[in-house]
Amino acid sequence: MDKQSILVYLEAQEGQIVKVSLEALNAAKQCAAKSGKSVAAVLVNAADAAASAAHYGADSVVTVEAGEYQPERYAHILKTLMERAEAELLFVGSTRDGRELAARVAAAFNIPCVSDATAISDEGFVRSIYGGSLMETIAVTGKAVISVRSGTFGKPECDESRIAPVSAETVADETQLRAVIRESVKELAESVNLEDAEVIVAGGRGMGSAEGFKMVEELAELLGGVVGASRPAIEDGWVPRNHQVGQSGKIVAPKLYIACGISGAMQHVSGMSGSGFIVAINKDEDAPIFDVADVGIVGNVNDILPLMIEEIRARKA
Amino acid sequence: MAYLFNEEDLDLYETVKDFCENEIKEQCKEYDVSGEWPTEIYEKAAEMGLNALEVPEEYGGLGLERLTVAALMEEMAKADAGFVTTITASNLALKAVLIGGNEEQKQHCCDFLLDGKHAAFCLTEPMAGSDAGNSKTTAVRDGDEYVLNGRKCFITNGAVASFYVVTAMTDKTKGVKGMSAFIVEAGTPGLSTGNHENKMGIRTSNTCDVVLEDVRVPASAMIGEEGQGYSIAMKTLDMSRTWVGCGAVGIAQRAIDEAVAYGKERITFGKPILKNQALQFKIADMEIRCETARQMIAHALMLMDAGKPYSKESAIAKCYAGDVAVQNALEAIQILGGYGYSREYPVEKLLRDAKIFQIYEGTNEIQRVVIAKNVIGKF
Amino acid sequence: MELLVCVKQVPDDSVTVTLDASGKPNLGGITPVVNAFDTYALEMATRFKEANGGNVSVITVGDLKENEKSLRSCLSVGASTAITVSAGDADAACALACGIPAAGTYDVIFCGSESTDVSAAQTGIRLAAALNLPVVTNVLALEPADGGLTVKQETEEGYRTVSVPTPCVLTIVKPAYDPRYPTMKSKMAARKIPISTVTVDAPAASDAAKCVKISAPAQRQAGVKIQEKEAADAVAKAMGMLIDRKLV
Repeated sequence: MDKQSILVYLEAQEGQIVKVSLEALNAAKQCAAKSGKSVAAVLVNAADAAASAAHYGADSVVTVEAGEYQPERYAHILKTLMERAEAELLFVGSTRDGRELAARVAAAFNIPCVSDATAISDEGFVRSIYGGSLMETIAVTGKAVISVRSGTFGKPECDESRIAPVSAETVADETQLRAVIRESVKELAESVNLEDAEVIVAGGRGMGSAEGFKMVEELAELLGGVVGASRPAIEDGWVPRNHQVGQSGKIVAPKLYIACGISGAMQHVSGMSGSGFIVAINKDEDAPIFDVADVGIVGNVNDILPLMIEEIRARKA
Repeated sequence: MAYLFNEEDLDLYETVKDFCENEIKEQCKEYDVSGEWPTEIYEKAAEMGLNALEVPEEYGGLGLERLTVAALMEEMAKADAGFVTTITASNLALKAVLIGGNEEQKQHCCDFLLDGKHAAFCLTEPMAGSDAGNSKTTAVRDGDEYVLNGRKCFITNGAVASFYVVTAMTDKTKGVKGMSAFIVEAGTPGLSTGNHENKMGIRTSNTCDVVLEDVRVPASAMIGEEGQGYSIAMKTLDMSRTWVGCGAVGIAQRAIDEAVAYGKERITFGKPILKNQALQFKIADMEIRCETARQMIAHALMLMDAGKPYSKESAIAKCYAGDVAVQNALEAIQILGGYGYSREYPVEKLLRDAKIFQIYEGTNEIQRVVIAKNVIGKF
Repeated sequence: MELLVCVKQVPDDSVTVTLDASGKPNLGGITPVVNAFDTYALEMATRFKEANGGNVSVITVGDLKENEKSLRSCLSVGASTAITVSAGDADAACALACGIPAAGTYDVIFCGSESTDVSAAQTGIRLAAALNLPVVTNVLALEPADGGLTVKQETEEGYRTVSVPTPCVLTIVKPAYDPRYPTMKSKMAARKIPISTVTVDAPAASDAAKCVKISAPAQRQAGVKIQEKEAADAVAKAMGMLIDRKLV
């Protein structure tokens, strides 16, 4: 393990590095390019993803074999590796677990943690505040942990010819676990890839019901797109929460974003305003979603969507 | 809102406003169409204690100032006038008990409202509306009981009340002096309700006939003494009128709010329509009427607080506020133009809701009779 | 059990915050409210108390006067005691870590999983570290278990069941239910409850991380708005635009 390199913790599932971790790797590489440091990728219980980490540009890979995922255990491992590497910076992808680990490691060292960074500027790490109304730039001195918001940095280029030295580290499992995960239940079967979608059709409270929301799904399928949703539609249980776009969901930037019955609260808009072309359908002509829409249709989604679906179907036929 | 001056009352007001905005305003729209009783809304309101705002402190109430309650009532009316009608009607029945009843009756009836239950005041009959003395309902003494027979109509909360205040003739020969008032609890054999009225407005409130067929109540259910019924009813209405006015002011204020919100956004000839002085003056006139009505209500309530006569002022408050609600609703529709006439927008409902405020709890003609009598006196 | 809920007053998150002339967030006209995630935490704590007995207290960092309205609103929806911590320039987690032991002994400390203003999701975790307590994040539900609690933790794809001994810290996400409304009665009763202040000598916040700039995100220009009487006309117009741009 290179001394003083920038560490990036990569979460992996069945040998596949999760997307936001690759974005964290990208962010780490950006930082490394500025400071002339190298990037060491950390894989815990995921040595099979080491080659992939190299393909995506890690300068070196550190693998650790440990007991199953427990936040206290993993935080201890990351903390230990940071110490061993004398690393100043640790990057983590902001999955729920990643964001937690970042804060845990920072708390253990009593060092700053920048949560959900969306960009790196000359002055520091940029992140959104006030539900995406504003952006703040945080300058850190000394050691820090940075968690990286999904959908903001993009994946680094993958070059399968690239290789990197892999070292297996052992970290003594000396943590006395206090909070212990007993069982993990996967409720949401399908994985939703909003970040890479070219077309997203999203629905909000205006869809009225789970039944009404089906039209959003129908249109998405017709356009070969992915279903998105704003928070009210999630909270009412019309669609699983991994479809959420916005502050507590994903940041997306498809070529086409169709917002159906979404009023356009800042918390939602901040997650989709980077889209190429935005179509909004809302019956309230003053809905803030129209402020960001390229085409805004004032009307009832229940009237508009069936016609739109019909029209597209006719064109496809 | 204009009644409130201290932070604590404002805080209470914010809470009720929040509730009305989030749980009533939008939800009532579908019930306005269907005319169904919005059970869930009323359960939530009861949970919050909105039924019992007027219960006096000595009977377990909150001891709120009348002016504070008025501000809260106005807010409820702003969200939905049918909703406030239900609340006001329960308190109307309670007022009759508080005015003429004994301690035991007062506590018993207050407990119903504290428990989130509704109540109904049954005075009106098919042939006895404004002419309340022409009542055909009878109460005949039989040992320790009275036997009630008759038909009451247009009774708010008729089908949902837990107790009814019913006026009936105990001695027809004495005219209004032969009228008595009774507390009849829901479920008493012989008490039934007719069809729910399919009304023009206040459609989230329940209105129906209340039918009494050999309804037996203990003599202890009488409010006050035999022959005091008419006097109790008139005193009750005197007081309740001001509260009805509160509801009307709520509608008048909502009309202003909707008209202003729309007028700022709606562009014609390249500018928002409210940039036109003609429409600004309309808004000003709406505000003059609304605020004047509100202050008249505040005045009548302060007279009540001070223990001074308020019959005339209460009649003025109700009459004026009722007229203002209708006028402001009409103006709001005019400002919204075609949209104002559309059921997609909220202002046509305001007019349908407002109209009843010129009719119930004493038509505005009857209010003018009361006012004239007070001014001219006997001659 | 003694339950403590850490709350933070934030600007109403339904309002878009803009920058003032000097480049600072313009919070002047925005109503302060209790952080939404903290209200979920308070509701969860209150439901736990109602099911299992105990007391719910709320604690916040900062001036009593500035926070009084928020604390009283907490007192009207389940909390029976309220405390403010006065800790100078200390950061919130540090101020709480110093203030909580001075305020009392608690079995479960609830925090919102994040605040709607800063959204850093760190306070609960840092507080737990400073108090040397276990912490479970993103909690949806909890029930008493032998020697502690069994909690349901929300994950990306479902949930986990986690055992944790008490005392502990939990950070709370939005459960399936909404926080209750206060009743008229509870609201008025809350007026009369005294709020205590704990003054602690906490180290000032470190300047290892400093906010050096606040900026507004790039604004999108609004495009065309289609308002047609007939839905079919509106759809035809919109489809025309999408086809022109080869988006469908």
